[in-house]
Amino acid sequence: MRTFNKLFAAALVAAIAITPFATDAASAKPVVGAAASKSLAQASSKKPAKAPVRIISLSPSATEILWGIGAAKQVAAVDDNSNFPAGVPTSKLSSFTPNVEAIAAYNPDLVILQANATKATEVQAALKKLGIAVYLEQTPNNTAGAYTEFQQLGALTGHASQASRLVATMRKQIKGIVSLFAAPHIRVFHELDNTLYSAASKTFIGAVYKDFGVTNIADAASGADKTGYPQLSAEYLIKANPQVVVLADGDWGETKATVSERAGWSAIDAVKNGKVFTIGSDISSRWGPRLVDLYRAVGNIIAKVN
Amino acid sequence: MSGKRIWNWRVTAGFAALLALALLLAVSLGPINLGFPAVLRTLLGSRDALSPIDQTVLLQIRLPRVILAGLVGAALATSGAVYQTVFRNPLADPYLLGIAAGAGLGATVAFVLGGASVGLLPLFAFVGGIAAVLVTFVVAGARRSDPRTLLLSGVAVGSFATAAQTYLFQSHTQVLRTVYSWILGQLVVSDWPTVAWTAGYLAVALGVLFAISRRLDGLLLSDEEAYSLGLKPARLRALAIAAATLATATAVAAGGLIGFVGLVIPHLIRGLLQRATNRALPTIALAGATFLILADLGARTLVSPAELPIGVITAFVGAPFFLYVLRRGGRQ
Repeated sequence: MRTFNKLFAAALVAAIAITPFATDAASAKPVVGAAASKSLAQASSKKPAKAPVRIISLSPSATEILWGIGAAKQVAAVDDNSNFPAGVPTSKLSSFTPNVEAIAAYNPDLVILQANATKATEVQAALKKLGIAVYLEQTPNNTAGAYTEFQQLGALTGHASQASRLVATMRKQIKGIVSLFAAPHIRVFHELDNTLYSAASKTFIGAVYKDFGVTNIADAASGADKTGYPQLSAEYLIKANPQVVVLADGDWGETKATVSERAGWSAIDAVKNGKVFTIGSDISSRWGPRLVDLYRAVGNIIAKVN
Repeated sequence: MSGKRIWNWRVTAGFAALLALALLLAVSLGPINLGFPAVLRTLLGSRDALSPIDQTVLLQIRLPRVILAGLVGAALATSGAVYQTVFRNPLADPYLLGIAAGAGLGATVAFVLGGASVGLLPLFAFVGGIAAVLVTFVVAGARRSDPRTLLLSGVAVGSFATAAQTYLFQSHTQVLRTVYSWILGQLVVSDWPTVAWTAGYLAVALGVLFAISRRLDGLLLSDEEAYSLGLKPARLRALAIAAATLATATAVAAGGLIGFVGLVIPHLIRGLLQRATNRALPTIALAGATFLILADLGARTLVSPAELPIGVITAFVGAPFFLYVLRRGGRQ
């Protein structure tokens, strides 16, 4: 029995360990709960009969999207990690380990729940039992997937046209940025943490690099992790010799200096030529309107290499 | 009395040779194919057998990792064997006793306080580990040789430490990612300073254990019998627990939580020798080093160029073995 516990614990640890990066690559299409899809259907057929006015967003990305499409006034509370834009009603609600009672205490009429949150389907079912509509948010694996969420949240909240306009603007801006900086034949390593977890092209972060046409060295290992966030071998990384290192873990203390002190890293072109850059962990892990900023940041980095 | 006869230096020599082979194999293989002759020539001092970048891969990345895996394996196997003796319990293991969880909690505290430097981490882990083993020891009380009592108190202590650790995670999300990666195994980013610190702490811990290994057999007897042999069982036990816990803590600090090595290896070696003697400790250390070097070879090559958590491999081999020992009724 102890062995079972041990194995279970090991599995649990493994599951928890990948949670910060966990996504579902199977589908980019957000799944909408029964009640929510009903209002979605209503929203698309005619004017929304009754748009939600007490929304709880348990996803920093969704929070930024809601603000972007002009649904801010309908939001009652957002999770503890939602910190943008300034003035969002941050609460103690957790996005990773949602608590049904705590959520229900806000008396919401729509809850946006991340599909990779702990027991997301159980939480969804419990909320539906209480008559609360749930939008189950899947992590997109590219920009198009993110736009789908913009449209769906727009339809759900009665801001469909604003969502469409925002998406059109973003499309145009991103297209402009990509055409300005497109730079193939550059080998890039995008670092999620100092144990060399990275993001392959099938993730939405990797898709940004893919749009610029650069070579993502994590792609060689993407088969090892179905969600597209493999942990790279240090020796493979040295041998792959990236020309650019992008640190998404700058907020956790990684810098150009700490990277160059790592064993063997002085042999990498990026370190030799000082092409190590940090990128904000928030803009590189959220797929809201600030995707444009992410493209701009990556574009600027590429520009510094050419 | 038959110990001397059954005990055979050839077994130790055999395991030393096996370790040498494993070392050679592990430095020759990896996600990057360097070619065996060039690897050998570089290790023997040649500086033009490999391209500069391949040389970096071999000497700065692969070699320290292989050596660290060996050190961690030796530490876990040896401390496992010593716990089994001290607790007179064949199922004792740094993980099952909650000691590794305690060490993990100590290390997590170090991360949260921001004091997670490579040299200090083992000390934080040691404090957590020693606290856990003391609680397990006290709770199990006089019935500590009963596998059920000991394991249950180990489970409780381990769960408590894990709960405290989880609480720290929740309230310090900024270190979450670092700690989770570390739990699954830190061997991914081994470097020479880590090897040096680990070797230093283990020199002390294993040095003590090897020095007292002959006397440790006395702890398998009742305390009265041990006294009659001229031993001081209480003091000997305390020294053994302290040294074994330092070894465990150092291993946890360097390699994260890697289970089952301390269970599988001592039983394997004692099974081969058909005797529970602690004179086998050096052999157990050699075998532990060999086992973990090979497990780590799997971790870095099976899904290359990605990494597999090493704990998955050791548990895959160790868990069925544990069931086997459990099924046999836990007799030494």
